Amino acid sequence: MALLEVRELGKAFGGVAAIADLSFAVPEGSIYAVIGPNGAGKTTLFNMLSGVYVPSDGAIEFDGTSLAGLEPHQVATRGISRTFQNLQIFFNMSVLENVMVGCHQRARSGLYRAALRLPGVVREEQQIRAWAIEALEFCGLAHLAERPADALPYGELKRVEIARALAADPRLLLMDEPAAGLNDTETAELRELIRRIGARGVTVLLVEHNMGLVMQVSDTVLVLDYGSKLAEGTTTEIQNDPRVIAAYLGGEVQYAVQ
Amino acid sequence: MSALHRLRGFLALAVVVALLPVLFPDNYFVTVVGVTIGFNVMLAVALNLFIGFAGQISLGHAAFFGMGAYASAILTTRYGWSPWPAMGVGLVIVYVVALLISRPILKLKGHYLAMATLGFGIIVNIIMVEAVDWTGGPDGMSGIPGLELFGWAVDSDLRWYAVMAVVMLATVLLSLNIIDSRAGRALRAVHGSEVAAQTLGVDTARVKSQVFVLSACLASLAGSLFAHQQNFISPVSFNFFFSIEVVTMVVLGGLASTYGAVFGAIVLTLLPQVLVVFEDYEVLILGAILMSIMIFLPQGLFVGLVRGSTGLLRRLRPAAVATGD
Repeated sequence: MALLEVRELGKAFGGVAAIADLSFAVPEGSIYAVIGPNGAGKTTLFNMLSGVYVPSDGAIEFDGTSLAGLEPHQVATRGISRTFQNLQIFFNMSVLENVMVGCHQRARSGLYRAALRLPGVVREEQQIRAWAIEALEFCGLAHLAERPADALPYGELKRVEIARALAADPRLLLMDEPAAGLNDTETAELRELIRRIGARGVTVLLVEHNMGLVMQVSDTVLVLDYGSKLAEGTTTEIQNDPRVIAAYLGGEVQYAVQ
Repeated sequence: MSALHRLRGFLALAVVVALLPVLFPDNYFVTVVGVTIGFNVMLAVALNLFIGFAGQISLGHAAFFGMGAYASAILTTRYGWSPWPAMGVGLVIVYVVALLISRPILKLKGHYLAMATLGFGIIVNIIMVEAVDWTGGPDGMSGIPGLELFGWAVDSDLRWYAVMAVVMLATVLLSLNIIDSRAGRALRAVHGSEVAAQTLGVDTARVKSQVFVLSACLASLAGSLFAHQQNFISPVSFNFFFSIEVVTMVVLGGLASTYGAVFGAIVLTLLPQVLVVFEDYEVLILGAILMSIMIFLPQGLFVGLVRGSTGLLRRLRPAAVATGD
């Protein structure tokens, strides 16, 4: 069954269509990749899925209900988390606190209860901390928990974003170019991490330029070109699709997979 | 983290505040300036929640301070109310006004938010000057009664010191509790990356509005207490320059640090008092000091000094010093 269904989606910026008439469905429990050249509309798609942009046309359904008109924080509450292509780390906090913000929607206590530090607040804090540490351990970051976020190198910050998104206990995780800027070792670690996220039962929607990574982890690949669907299929189908090769992959993909 | 460890800075502050009047019972700087410091710490800590932690800006916070003060003054002198319900009504008025303006105003960011809050502050101040029948106009209002707590009249400098010490410490504790909580992290997340905060389920518009209102309410309480302590108020105490002064306290001490705001309020209240000995050059020297602090300690006096001293300690005893917070 499809967890996420996108129908005839469109987004125009002042007459320029960034996404046009795009339909696809992401089955629950799968790892689904979206690829395409720069400017193909991948990040625009992500911004619509997470409620940051309002679509010009079409519909997005998550778990059978429409996401139309929802604010980003309401989309998050439905069970969709995301990471960002350009890091959006809270540099004014520790690594642990970053991930604790990820648990925001799993807890309840508000400003006034916190100000008086009622007993329930303290219990909830311990629970949030436990959730956050679990997410950090899952991403291999537990030893960095107390470090200030601005003291970490880029590769680790990318994993902090993943841990933070997982701390929200999402059903769908949107990953926007998680391998960008990573070296080969870090990319290999990321590949394992994505597989373990999938094994955990979280559906993953991945936007990525690193073809090796995409072909190794994905169940289904969607190819975008100029905001429209060029092809969709398994990794083998995509690698052998002449339109994809002509428009985008060239000879690179065979090389990358080997 | 145990409560004792978390609040060790607060306990140290409380001990100092309690000991000062015992050690120096007749010292002008303790019992008179100390009460003023109490008001300023309250205002700076409250404003720091909004500008230091949530990363917003308000150049009109003196308006809320003044609204509390005038509500108390008008209700007690013109209608014969007792101070406590008057203070409560002031609080409710400020709560409603802050809530009403927060949603439209907080859609703005940066310079535009600064302009909007500045405008609000100026409008409120003009009302204080022009609504002569209610506020007494530029001459202000006198004869505001003192406070009484269960038959205990707050009628001396030392007693006011005690009241303000308790209220100020309560404000500091409130701020510390908030920052180290789910709501406090949401606040700081708004500062760090608003879009990331939203995609993690933080209703950023609501968070900003809530902290703005809380900050305004604390300012209103401070204003009511100020009116009863001074027995006289006039619009000059609540004008644009005072709004700027409170912002300066927050920035001077160090943004996003509760103790920084406390420190900034103390320094900025004491400095002009101390510099009086320089007579004509007083303002000049004050300006020079403020400028040098911002040039050499851009992260703020308190934060800068704490980092500097822990760095120095670490160099002296590399293994023995744990990381500070």
